Amino acid sequence: MRLSLFASLLVTLPVSVAAFGQSTAPVKAAANVLRTSDGKPDLSGIWQAFGVTLFGETGELRPGEGTASSWGPPVGPAPYRPELIAKVKELGADNRKDPNVQCKMAGVPRITGSVVPMEVIQTPKKIAFLYESGHAFRIVALDGKPHPADLDPSYMGHSTGRWDGDTLLVDVVGFNNITWLPGPGHFHSESLHVVERYMLQPDNTIHYEATMEDPEVLTKPWLYRLILRHPPREERIMESDCHDNNQDLDHIVPSH
Amino acid sequence: MKLGICTLACGIWFSSTAIAHHSFAAEYDAEKPASIAGTVTKIDWQNPHVYLTVEAKDETGKTSIMTVEGHPPNILRRTGWTRDSIKVGDSVSISGWASKDGSQRMAGREVTWPDGKKLFVGPPSH
Repeated sequence: MRLSLFASLLVTLPVSVAAFGQSTAPVKAAANVLRTSDGKPDLSGIWQAFGVTLFGETGELRPGEGTASSWGPPVGPAPYRPELIAKVKELGADNRKDPNVQCKMAGVPRITGSVVPMEVIQTPKKIAFLYESGHAFRIVALDGKPHPADLDPSYMGHSTGRWDGDTLLVDVVGFNNITWLPGPGHFHSESLHVVERYMLQPDNTIHYEATMEDPEVLTKPWLYRLILRHPPREERIMESDCHDNNQDLDHIVPSH
Repeated sequence: MKLGICTLACGIWFSSTAIAHHSFAAEYDAEKPASIAGTVTKIDWQNPHVYLTVEAKDETGKTSIMTVEGHPPNILRRTGWTRDSIKVGDSVSISGWASKDGSQRMAGREVTWPDGKKLFVGPPSH
């Protein structure tokens, strides 16, 4: 019931989504952008937020590269409930606890900040996000229909989307409590609700914003913003089976 | 311009939220540079990291073996490597940083071959 209510709000009350949480920053996409044949901003192609492969061909990072891939004002630390901050610190101090180190799918929105790219395949009725990280994928219907009421918890959740002008809005629920939000030790509950905004820019980057709400662990909604770029070369998504030879769990040294 | 790029402070925050497979500092010591010069005896061209096993002999003939962690194949492919860039039997020197757990492992940064060829095999320490 809770899940379908979220989706109903998304469909019937778009203003409430735009005003959702602390997202008072500009969220409108620019008008002068590449478009598909049906007039929507063209989000298709390979995109990446971080990583050495976004900067030249040699793997050499120069000072300042690879860090400032955000836009808008700083969002500050995650607003965890005071009684949970110690747990966040404990989890963050032991990298073995990170589900990503355990080769699990990264969840939303953390996966958008991966150091390897994703590919977006866009049609008028559906948009697909194919992530190199963890073989994860999301196929999002753009009809704005409510989420199913009987979702089983999952790593990547269930997404439903629609266009709000030139902004792609994606509403995601149905998560398990295994993945983390961006940042060390940032656990969440199955009540996590994410609203993503993809805003194509005239320079052919995407301003990405995710609003995370989880009243079981956060005192208020929290934002995650990234600039997504096309890698500077012809690119393809590759296979990445993290379980293949994961030696790190035996050698990580906790910091506490 | 309302949608300004974050300044340095924001960059520091976001630098901790990118997803690599693991935190550098959780496994390697950025304050302890390490190097190995010897012969490549094994190559694990696999995810989530490539591992190079390098065998070295000191002036007394004593053998030491170092496991060098690098980027995954997917990133090395995109930074100029192919699977044939390094072969078992190659003489190389590799710079990087020591492991924190005291094992004979290091985070590799740059590989140098006798002919002067150099390739980055792993990330900077920070």
